[in-house]
Amino acid sequence: MSVETRRNFGTVRVPAGLNGLLPALILIMLFFVVPVLALLLRSVTEPEPGLQNYAALLGDGTYARVFFNTFLVAALVTIVTVLVAFPVAWMLAIMPSGLASIIFGIIILSMWTNLLTRTYAWMVLLQRTGVINRTLMTIGVIDQPLPLINNLTGVTIGMVYIMLPFMILPLVGTLRAIDPMTLRAASLCGASPFQAFRRILLPLSLPGVAAGGLMVFVMSLGYFVTPALLGGTSNMMLAEMIAQMVQSLLNWGLGSAAAFILLVVTMALYALQLRLAGARRMSGGI
Amino acid sequence: MTHPFLSIRNLRKAFGAIVAVHDVTLDIPRGEFLTFLGPSGSGKSTTLYAIAGFQDPSSGDVLLEEKSLLAVPSHKRNIGMVFQRYTLFPHLTVAENVAFPLRVRRRSDAEVKKKVADMLALVRLESFAGRLPGALSGGQQQRVALARALAYDPPILLMDEPLSALDKKLREEIQGEIRRIHRETGVTILYVTHDQEEALHLSDRIALFKDGRIEQTGTGEDLYLRPATDFVAGFIGNSNFLAAEHLDTINGTATIRMTDGSVISGVRPNGTFGKGQKTRLMIRPEAFSMERSPASAELNVEIVDIAFYGERRRIVARIAAGQEVDIRPTSAAMQSQGVSPCSRQVFFDPATAFLFPA
Repeated sequence: MSVETRRNFGTVRVPAGLNGLLPALILIMLFFVVPVLALLLRSVTEPEPGLQNYAALLGDGTYARVFFNTFLVAALVTIVTVLVAFPVAWMLAIMPSGLASIIFGIIILSMWTNLLTRTYAWMVLLQRTGVINRTLMTIGVIDQPLPLINNLTGVTIGMVYIMLPFMILPLVGTLRAIDPMTLRAASLCGASPFQAFRRILLPLSLPGVAAGGLMVFVMSLGYFVTPALLGGTSNMMLAEMIAQMVQSLLNWGLGSAAAFILLVVTMALYALQLRLAGARRMSGGI
Repeated sequence: MTHPFLSIRNLRKAFGAIVAVHDVTLDIPRGEFLTFLGPSGSGKSTTLYAIAGFQDPSSGDVLLEEKSLLAVPSHKRNIGMVFQRYTLFPHLTVAENVAFPLRVRRRSDAEVKKKVADMLALVRLESFAGRLPGALSGGQQQRVALARALAYDPPILLMDEPLSALDKKLREEIQGEIRRIHRETGVTILYVTHDQEEALHLSDRIALFKDGRIEQTGTGEDLYLRPATDFVAGFIGNSNFLAAEHLDTINGTATIRMTDGSVISGVRPNGTFGKGQKTRLMIRPEAFSMERSPASAELNVEIVDIAFYGERRRIVARIAAGQEVDIRPTSAAMQSQGVSPCSRQVFFDPATAFLFPA
């Protein structure tokens, strides 16, 4: 160590750097690490020491259903978001950059608009006597209002809308890096548009789909506002359950345990993504 | 009457108000190596893209064995193409890239395997089958692209400036490969380049493009020795254009008066000129010699500089009117003495000099 330092004397400035980093490290410890540890501590100490909170959460059918529902909604939202975002991202990737910047601006602007406002807007649109149902009934497509709110449909529509920018942005980056000439080459090689998409465009865009998909999935797992407003009681998500445990039941131990399980799952997924991305780089692809 | 193998008929392509290709008509026999040569923006790539099916022409037709290609989408045209940039599929290995056109055609595994091996042998990259394109040099990537384009035995191979991204040494090496592969496969090749040396080296015939039209079609020798226009003369090889006044044309040879008053007979007129019309005389730098011969005409010049370029010398000279003349006699024809500025006569055979309108 000291030999190493002496050999690089004059260039190694790690100690000085560490000193400079200290305030940031303290900040992170104080506001991020300590609360998580406190959370973990509460989950195994309240109301009494032991793992009974975890046992209750993982053993009880009602809680298990909430977990299952959380993953179902997150997965559904991720899939629909990918399906909607892909064509939009592809158009943004190939259109003239001036026009693309304008559309990017619109997408970003929607991200900056208050989340609650956007969710209430969906309530106005989706409810029984909402704009969508009334329009469809007026033009005679349906006789009865469609159940678009307070159920899985409502949650999915609302959340996909919120999540789209998080999928589109990384995907456009990946798609822009693909040389359009590659697709022309595939076409001349005899690939139909579908074959060119399946065998060339899709595999080449997978890193972007994976990055955006993971972000959307993880964000969806812990989402609160949209499911609470657009969802129904029968498909409660984890964040709502935690809110109920803490606010209504004042059961901090159980709430902490649920939050901690969510954190562990999220971190595991993130680690998996890093692993897969790393493997791709190792094999020399993209 | 035999019909042409590939026929381009009155092709025109306009992008809004900009006309990229005005009117191109060309017949290409089977097995020919034809090069579209021209400066950038001359319409040569646009013509190639119309054959590939990337851009629909505004009017005109492209016929392969008398059947129009225009209604056929590009993935059904069965045409091979090598692009300017490397367009290999980065996520597939070299072997998978070459196999791609066969896989989308649903050929059997055994056939794909054999064909891929044959193609990699053709471009001499057998040992690279398992590599990803990113691990290959530019030259190797273009050879894989060539193998991929030929894997399905297309009747026509299009090449769009395939060597422009490579350095000079690699370019020459791959030019040799392309000639060999053309010889061995007999495929009809349409090759686009702006590099006249590349065109002369590779092609059976050259179509020289200018402003969306073909200026002249012919062998490299035709274009070099018998340029149809001053543009061809200026684009192929090096040329001097000297101002001259046309005096008379008799039996296909013209007599002219140079700016210093000297009269030269026996030059070849390109077009018909009236008496006293202003013209330009084109003389190749290597057509000059330093010794008088019976048929030669002479030109009075002042030598400005002499440089040794191996087999030839390069002389910068100036005529009385002040215009510089590029003269390249063989090194053996002239001793290196007399480097200092001096006035003297240089000679050329008038039959190798062409008269063009001013």
